[in-house]
Amino acid sequence: MRAPVYALVGNPNCGKSTLFNALTGLKQKVGNYPGVTVEKHEGTAYSQHGQAMKVIDLPGAYSLASRSPDEAVMRDVLLGRREDTPQPDRIVCIVDASNLERHLYQVLQILDLGRPVILVLNMMDLAENSGVKIRVNYLERMLGIPVIPCEADKGRGIIELKLAMSRHDLPLSKHRWDIPAAIAPAVAELQASLGDNDGKAPLIARAEALLLLTDHDHVRVAGSTPLHAKTEEILKTWKARWSAENVDWAAILVKARFAEVGRICTEVVERRETRARVGRPFVDRLDEVLTHPVWGWLIFISIMGLLFLGIFTLAEYPMNWIDSGMGMLADWVRGAMPPGDLRDLITDGALSGLRGIVIFLPQILILFFSIGLLESTGYMARAAVMMDRIMGKVGLSGRSFIPLLSSYACAIPGIMATRTIEDRRDRLTTILVAPLMSCSARLPVYLLMIAALVPGTSVPALTKTGIMLLMYSIGTFGALGYAWLFRRTLLKGKPSMMMMEMPAYQLPSLRTIVRQMLDRASAFLFQAGTVILSLSILLWALAAYPKSPAGSSPQVQLEHSYAGDMGRLLEPTIKPLGFNWQIGVGLVSSFAAREVFVSTMGVIFDVQGDTKANTVPLRDALRQATWPDGHRLFTPLVCFNLMLYYVFAMQCLSTVAVVYRETKSWFWPTFQILYMTGTAWVVCFVVYQVGRLAGF
Amino acid sequence: MSSESQNQADRVPLSQLLSGEKGRVYDLKGEATVCARLREMGFCESAVVEKVGGTFTVLCQVCGTRIALNSRAAEHILVEKLES
Repeated sequence: MRAPVYALVGNPNCGKSTLFNALTGLKQKVGNYPGVTVEKHEGTAYSQHGQAMKVIDLPGAYSLASRSPDEAVMRDVLLGRREDTPQPDRIVCIVDASNLERHLYQVLQILDLGRPVILVLNMMDLAENSGVKIRVNYLERMLGIPVIPCEADKGRGIIELKLAMSRHDLPLSKHRWDIPAAIAPAVAELQASLGDNDGKAPLIARAEALLLLTDHDHVRVAGSTPLHAKTEEILKTWKARWSAENVDWAAILVKARFAEVGRICTEVVERRETRARVGRPFVDRLDEVLTHPVWGWLIFISIMGLLFLGIFTLAEYPMNWIDSGMGMLADWVRGAMPPGDLRDLITDGALSGLRGIVIFLPQILILFFSIGLLESTGYMARAAVMMDRIMGKVGLSGRSFIPLLSSYACAIPGIMATRTIEDRRDRLTTILVAPLMSCSARLPVYLLMIAALVPGTSVPALTKTGIMLLMYSIGTFGALGYAWLFRRTLLKGKPSMMMMEMPAYQLPSLRTIVRQMLDRASAFLFQAGTVILSLSILLWALAAYPKSPAGSSPQVQLEHSYAGDMGRLLEPTIKPLGFNWQIGVGLVSSFAAREVFVSTMGVIFDVQGDTKANTVPLRDALRQATWPDGHRLFTPLVCFNLMLYYVFAMQCLSTVAVVYRETKSWFWPTFQILYMTGTAWVVCFVVYQVGRLAGF
Repeated sequence: MSSESQNQADRVPLSQLLSGEKGRVYDLKGEATVCARLREMGFCESAVVEKVGGTFTVLCQVCGTRIALNSRAAEHILVEKLES
């Protein structure tokens, strides 16, 4: 017998992922629904008797009416509209017990689907603490399905749920609600057509008919089977007829459902008034402080400060270990293989490409861990509320805050985090400006330029931090400025609304955070890794061919390679910025990953040894570099300009690839390259020309 | 003042409630999709909303949940002020 397929559905923030983890443990698979950027979580749970049950964790949604791709996927899987995912045999519906009124609407929609449903009342402890008592037995009788109280984060109720899931005789809900007589013919006609033309089972067809009539079904994503033309026709006719009669049946149906929800709740929910206590509840006061115009900002800035300190200081140690580990690996390959192109391809192409990816893993892990921690305690939602004001000024909403924050470590996870933004224009704008936030790959470039900029053997910490902060703020203001511009021109539209549920304050669950961190990190490794790796190999070839006579130094080799030619080809365009062909080679070679600029400078100025760990020899070499006419190449103005160039220019092909994957179009990534690199050129041109006139 | 006009005066957009004040949702205005979304979030007709705080972005309590709405969303919700 085939293992039964369960779908896990529920609102966002109802503890669905925690329950999914509790049910399936480590037996999970994370993939993608083909054609849409929505993660597919599948796992296997085992009953008390070892019987396997397949569980699909569907994206969280507030109802079956879908607005974002996430919600569309959830609806399509339940309605059996996706060929890549089997229609679930049974449904586990999770609701937040402290909040039954709001969640029941979706539960009723799901009961209509005509599949056996198990209702899980999660967070029973929270409900009881807030004075809500639910008569579970009564609810079970009213709906006619198993109702299981549960505290998924503490593992309570999981065994009962598994027992219910392994029952062979899971009942269909007895709950029926009356469809107003006037629209019954429309439901019947649509249901018949869905059965005959779209091949749907009778109950599913009825549910889908109701859904088509009441809810807005215009978000369609790739992989979703379209309606049969006849069904579409019937739907159109009825909608036209209603609008001619000037009766909004859809609203009447929705209101009828809400009335039903109200009726159930008055019977099963008992609410003790806990608000009568002296003073305001602690949570209210905490919310007030955290979103306070003064205290809120102080707390916000301190937390963000700590987060950045963590990213840049804690990560330094593992980054050094990875660096020396990869160095040792390359040395070992050099020792074990005879010299030749293959050896160089492995050490200078593949291994250095791999290093360019793995080196950022510590920072990214720390970032994801911190974000996970802040999310699970409930603070992140409050931070988004604080930022909503600022984001609102440039036409975005608080939802864009987390993606932009992640982009300080790396734009790729930032862009992937935009999936939760409902508004298409908001999401595109966020994707377009995210790479302007100074990511950690720009750091090595900034550090080298600061070293070359400031005379003396060591750079005072204050100067270093000052210049660094300047670069970060230029990037941030650039991102906000462009967001403002795009929302008024290219992606013009009404300013977006923000509605965000504030999760309850909770002690974080380490297991969930670590699991989420690993999921996100592996997505990063896979998405960015493949691009960086293949590009590094290509760039290696550009620098290694055509071959110079045997015995020539690496400097001579690079000068006469294709990369050198490209640098010289580029020189006329970058000369007005104060850059020569050697810097041009650096710009070309760092197109895959910005930090490659530093090692290229090391090769081109013929500096032996590890340029990354010790910038002193390279710095001195840069100071001695001159134009053919003898004047200094790396004047303070040029160093500063080069930093500015890296703030704005789109020097990261992995980001381009991810933007393509997320937007499903070449227009946006192409536009992004043009506007970012264009801005870099204009800004550097103006700064260099004005700076020269001013005598720098 | 007649009781009718008294009622009118007590009907305000949610954004105009003061912190700590309660109101009962009596109508949602705007596009159907917006209204449906608001209902799903708990702002269905006759629900009681309490404003917790915030100015531009409003924090409020509805159906036992805390929800943040920015002013552009809050203006779609019309409430009748309740005596606290």
